[in-house]
Amino acid sequence: MTRHHPDSLSLMEYSAGNLSEPHALCIRLHLDQCPHCRSRVDTLNSLGAIMMEHQPKVTLSDNSFDQLMARIDGDEGGPAPVMPEPRVSPLQKLLGNDINDLPWKRQLADVSVLDITDRFPGQNERVVLQKLVAGGKAPAHTHRGNETTLVLQGAFADQNGVFNQWDFVVLNEQDEHRPVAVGCDDCITLSVLSAPLKLTGRFTRLLNPFLR
Amino acid sequence: MTTREQQPAKTEGRKDPWGVLLENVGKHQDRAAYHALFEHFAPQIKYYAISNGLASHAEELVQEVFVSIWRRSCLYDWRKAAASTWIFTIARNQRIDMLRKMQRTSAEIAVETEDLWQIPGDNENEPVTSLHRLMSERRIRESLSLLPEEQITVIAKVYMEHKSHQMVADELNIPLGTVKSRVRLALNKLKVILQDQNV
Repeated sequence: MTRHHPDSLSLMEYSAGNLSEPHALCIRLHLDQCPHCRSRVDTLNSLGAIMMEHQPKVTLSDNSFDQLMARIDGDEGGPAPVMPEPRVSPLQKLLGNDINDLPWKRQLADVSVLDITDRFPGQNERVVLQKLVAGGKAPAHTHRGNETTLVLQGAFADQNGVFNQWDFVVLNEQDEHRPVAVGCDDCITLSVLSAPLKLTGRFTRLLNPFLR
Repeated sequence: MTTREQQPAKTEGRKDPWGVLLENVGKHQDRAAYHALFEHFAPQIKYYAISNGLASHAEELVQEVFVSIWRRSCLYDWRKAAASTWIFTIARNQRIDMLRKMQRTSAEIAVETEDLWQIPGDNENEPVTSLHRLMSERRIRESLSLLPEEQITVIAKVYMEHKSHQMVADELNIPLGTVKSRVRLALNKLKVILQDQNV
């Protein structure tokens, strides 16, 4: 059961479609496991629909419906209906079946990282997977800018509580913590780091939330 | 708690008319229903495209949204979303998709738009919560007219102009904290915040 949820403002930006791709992914993966937040997003989507309805309307060109029908009746029988598909998690599509079996790079005795920023071309953020071995401790550290983290596997604990699978947490420079992986699984997190350009040169060792 | 037998009968009467049309498109490829949906929603979506900075692609976006509506209408479930909400999320996704395609240089898109921004009801097997949904929609409709103009302005910029809270603050020349507090006040009135406190 997840205990730590995105705040309403983030969900609103998600509903409006204004988040960066990595941030949207964190919210989406949380939503998949959290009926409570799905219900909040449904409400916000309704707000979006009602906002759209309250705005001015713009007349379409005379032939636009005919054009549309021509496309629907197109030579290959038109666009195929979308069929309900077996559910494949976006995470699985992105990282394969086993997130434990990735080319992890060990940084410290207990900490490994994998930078997946290149999977999100054109996004101005750093996207990092981190693994803290079961029972392992990360050194005390603070954060630079805002860092959004979603727990993908296992759990970690710090002075703010226990963060379980699918929990969502945003940390910033005020948050100094010393996370410990709890439970019997390695703790794996997905983190999105707002990365001001001036910092990029130093980022190699500035990886959050376990390190820094 | 209402008994399960009563619920469908109670909510059936509250099906919105656009939802009925959408179901007819999904079940029977009903073209008259499709045309009625187009007449109602296409001018809204065209404005949505223009306000989102896609003026030169506005008709194209409307076309993409309606092709998507045609293809997906068989998945539409009125119990999970009002037609207007469902169509809004399709318009939003198509807008995102169009921008992604325009900005894409050479790299493959690793994650599809639909994997990032969900359409309500897709891939969901949870118990139907139609009553709750209908109530929250009605609440938004009723409360929205009670919100002060400055709160509506901020929400409109977020939803219609694809602006982050920070960008809204810059544009209106007010602190980010003020934007956030206006949004929070509005969401509070709309009872989205109240749902936060129930966590």
